[in-house]
Amino acid sequence: MNNKLKVLRAMRNWSQAELADRLDVSRQAVNAIETGKYDPSLPLAFKLARLFDMPIEEIFDDGFER
Amino acid sequence: MMASKDRMMVTEPQEPRAPGFVWPAAICFGAIFLAGILAGFSKAAAEAGKATLAPWAGPLIAATLGIAGLFFYFRRHADWFHALSRRRRRYWTALGLAAVIGGIVGVWASFDQPTNRGAIEMAFTGALSAKFAIGASILWVIGLLVSMVIYHRSIDDHEERAWLWAGLAGWYAFIFPAPVWWVLHRAGLAPPADAMLLFLLSMVANAIVYLWLKFR
Repeated sequence: MNNKLKVLRAMRNWSQAELADRLDVSRQAVNAIETGKYDPSLPLAFKLARLFDMPIEEIFDDGFER
Repeated sequence: MMASKDRMMVTEPQEPRAPGFVWPAAICFGAIFLAGILAGFSKAAAEAGKATLAPWAGPLIAATLGIAGLFFYFRRHADWFHALSRRRRRYWTALGLAAVIGGIVGVWASFDQPTNRGAIEMAFTGALSAKFAIGASILWVIGLLVSMVIYHRSIDDHEERAWLWAGLAGWYAFIFPAPVWWVLHRAGLAPPADAMLLFLLSMVANAIVYLWLKFR
């Protein structure tokens, strides 16, 4: 699944470690999500959405087109 | 305004630094090295007909200095630990507890065996006392149970997923070879199945998959 996490993080000038601290997850988790190696759980996706103040579907893209 | 911002940046307190692995590893290796030196000194003294150290003295001195070194090292990083979230504090507490249990079992194992044993004999094949075997088993089961309950309640989703796949890989590394070995043994084609070898295989598969999914 594609996501805009890296861009959103860069816009705020946060390091992976800083974002990990804000989400209370490990830096490896942030890196794995950014590089598409790991899709976060629904609670973590909601946490990201709240942190960036955006709907989940604006952060993550599953490639589905209507 | 700019100057005041700059001043603020200069006087900003430094972030507490996380402890690394190099110093604790160096302290542990130093303690083991010291125990070896003291054992060598004692052996040389015995050969020269001079007074020797009591067999427990060398390991005790080395262990005391090692524990003191680790204590002072981790005390320097207390601010880092207190600044962590509750989840991360639990996480590192669980890992610390597991490390302490491992350390106690390791030091106790070295106390429990004659000093003239080689590394392989000491770690894998040498006879152990009943006292150590029972004590280490209790420590292993209860200590690990407690630390793993704390640990698995504090890991994040990503690490939990890594462990789920790693656990499955470890399980497969046991259930595929175990019956094969057992059948081959019944046909006289292989020695009896070695539980510890299967355990080791399972652990290696578990560790490889966990490390791959967690750190790649």
